[in-house]
Amino acid sequence: MKGIRLLALIGAVLALGLVAGCGDDDDGGGGGGGGDQAAEGGGDTIKVGFLSDCEGAFGSFFEPTASGFNQALIDKAGAKPASKKPSEGVTGATVAGKQIQIVGYGCSDGTADKAIEETRRLVEQEGADILVGPLSGDEGIAVANYAKDHPDKTFINGIAGAQDATLKVQAPNFFRYHPDGAQWSAGLGDYAYNELGWKRAAIIGDDYSFPYTSLAGFVAEYCAIGGKITKRIWAPLGEKDYSSYISQIPDDVDGLYVGIGGSGLINFVKQYKQQRGEVDTDRMMGNVFWDDPLVLKEVGNDLVGGTTSAMTAADSDDPDVTAYIDRLRKSYGKELAGLGPSVFTYGYYTAGQALIKGLEAVNGDISDQKKLQAALAKVRLSGDEAPYGDVRLDENHQAISDVFLKRIVKDKTGDGVADVATFRRIPEVNQTFGGFFTAEAPPPDRNNPTCEKRQPPPWVGKAEEVSFGT
Amino acid sequence: MTASVGRTSWPALGVVVAAAALAPLVFTDFFVSVILTKSLWLGVAAASLIFLSAYGGMVSLAQVGIYGVAGMTFANLVVADGGAAAAWSPWIATIAAIVVAVAVGLFFGVIAARSVGIYFLMITLAFSVLVYYFFSQVTQLSGFGGVNNPDLPSLVGQPGQDPAPLYYTTLVVAVLVFLGLRYVSRAPFGLALQGLRDEPARMRALGFNVTRHRILAFTLAAFIAAVAGVLSVWYNGRIAPGSINLAQTIDILIIAVIGGLYRLEGAWVGALTYALLDNYSREWTPTVGDVLGAERFNTILGVVFLIIVLLSPGGLVGLWERVRGLGGRGPGPPGEVAREPAPAEAAK
Repeated sequence: MKGIRLLALIGAVLALGLVAGCGDDDDGGGGGGGGDQAAEGGGDTIKVGFLSDCEGAFGSFFEPTASGFNQALIDKAGAKPASKKPSEGVTGATVAGKQIQIVGYGCSDGTADKAIEETRRLVEQEGADILVGPLSGDEGIAVANYAKDHPDKTFINGIAGAQDATLKVQAPNFFRYHPDGAQWSAGLGDYAYNELGWKRAAIIGDDYSFPYTSLAGFVAEYCAIGGKITKRIWAPLGEKDYSSYISQIPDDVDGLYVGIGGSGLINFVKQYKQQRGEVDTDRMMGNVFWDDPLVLKEVGNDLVGGTTSAMTAADSDDPDVTAYIDRLRKSYGKELAGLGPSVFTYGYYTAGQALIKGLEAVNGDISDQKKLQAALAKVRLSGDEAPYGDVRLDENHQAISDVFLKRIVKDKTGDGVADVATFRRIPEVNQTFGGFFTAEAPPPDRNNPTCEKRQPPPWVGKAEEVSFGT
Repeated sequence: MTASVGRTSWPALGVVVAAAALAPLVFTDFFVSVILTKSLWLGVAAASLIFLSAYGGMVSLAQVGIYGVAGMTFANLVVADGGAAAAWSPWIATIAAIVVAVAVGLFFGVIAARSVGIYFLMITLAFSVLVYYFFSQVTQLSGFGGVNNPDLPSLVGQPGQDPAPLYYTTLVVAVLVFLGLRYVSRAPFGLALQGLRDEPARMRALGFNVTRHRILAFTLAAFIAAVAGVLSVWYNGRIAPGSINLAQTIDILIIAVIGGLYRLEGAWVGALTYALLDNYSREWTPTVGDVLGAERFNTILGVVFLIIVLLSPGGLVGLWERVRGLGGRGPGPPGEVAREPAPAEAAK
């Protein structure tokens, strides 16, 4: 009897599965309902899946990334925000007469496995034709690999910065309209060697893939011109106490490049100050985290004078930029608009803009996605489509675009928080740094790329001085 | 009365396996892959934990660490993007991965087997964390963004295109694991293990080498976890340090607790429940202001977990047996229900 009852239990769980499976089929049927409409209207719905992180280290960027993507639809596809919460979607998005239906706002946790599960859910269960996302490095590589196996779907990266996703995977249906992690560091090596006169430098970073890439961008350029990296210090992932790493920083270097991220950076700055009296920012540079609003709020005043870089410039007074921020404010309020210059919001925004342009180019016809993919490869973003600078793609579907050098300055706005002053624009930064990074070269890690003098990247010496709002 | 060594109903098992075998005809590819295949391999991983817990009284958090060792070893030994890419045959790599993971399991077992209770829990947790950090930092083995697209045995085909071969493979493995563990639990080895769980001092007096017995049980569970680790790589088509992090360790424990820590069947009941909740709660979670919304789907999982733990410390399987106990035989002796999931009881 016991067996039968156990059987009944397992049967009940299976039945739950069946219901869910059928629920799934019903959803498919709902989609089929959409399909019915489609039958009436002749395939009028384009299904788009959105993938970002709502858990894990980047979980707090879920709504900002959604706001960026939605804003592109609001700007160019006539959509209306469904509510002030971006992940609740938009209504009435149409491109070339076709409805855009967002089948889901997928949530990963920063790991490749979860990103793939969510990708599969959105593509295979919810029936997305096109996926926009993901957010972080390892996820991007995994989704690019998934894309390779699914040539009949199209994938536009959100803001995942791993070099490999385009440089090595080279999926024909995976597109990235923002610079990768190494490109974000472009221009700093030139500035350090030629302007600040750093002949010898040390680097310090968290011991995982993003800092490797980020620092690789600095090393590749700085060493190509003639700089020497005398020490590379890696602190274990999740380190809270950086004091032993700070004491490893040699005294006989001219400068230090810091690739420590998030809350780790806050600890690092505080401990550096305790240990060495002050943060000698004129001898320091940092990667994309330095002008993160949270970091500025906590330790910005200690970082004043330091240099950092990225593809956006928070202080830009370009009319396209101010209009972009205004539109975001109108859709989603002040707080999310304040994050408009964040690479997270902006990466998803340009992804959305590129998607719309690609769809317009094929007149909304995605029956053959090869055509859409060919159109996307040719998309160039300019003006209000890419307010911080024009974007085009290389043959690996990787963005070539401008990068800005920025200095942390004393508070200008009166809120007590240090601000950012952009001072240089590095034009046309490409992924290979003038042929240095290749699909065959070893990926960036603790010791790669090696430091050697060679042909510098094409933008060295071509940086334009810029100044906003002075 | 929960009798870990309860009779297995052969007809029941037959019907469940037959139903499972028909699943690819009924369900979509997505469901077969992301819900059912995933449930089966997660179930194998949870079974290794439940085996240790139910028969050995050892709640181990090291199982994810051990399956991570197996998965990483496999992924590094075959042709793949990232990692060592040693280009071995997938079958030889599978065997090597299991051997390596069992060796590591034996080593962990030697260290952990002398401790009990919370100390055992903490030591095994440390093992999982250690494995995670090892692979996070040794990027020569874990690749830049994990090890992607490993070469799989031709038996499972291309899981991305057609999930059925991998599903059937996983199903067969899961059934073998279930029957194997069930057999072991009734063999003298398993009976002695239950004796050690309840009365270690008495067993020692009877001449059993308690520590050695526990080490062997831990190693056997490591073997099962290693099998799950290789299956996880076949299923995911990749492995990264994030695949074996603390969150995954906790997920396996949640699966085991949801299913019930006192019966092997609980592993798969828990895994299926978990996979369904994890997937569908993302759509079903109602929006309540800024508090609850689709991105807070984990809250649903947490609430279900809490309800199950509160209602039935024996998990879903225990809940069922309890309902049956109330309904079928009327209210049992008051003490019985409360004592039901106690391991000591289970041994008798």
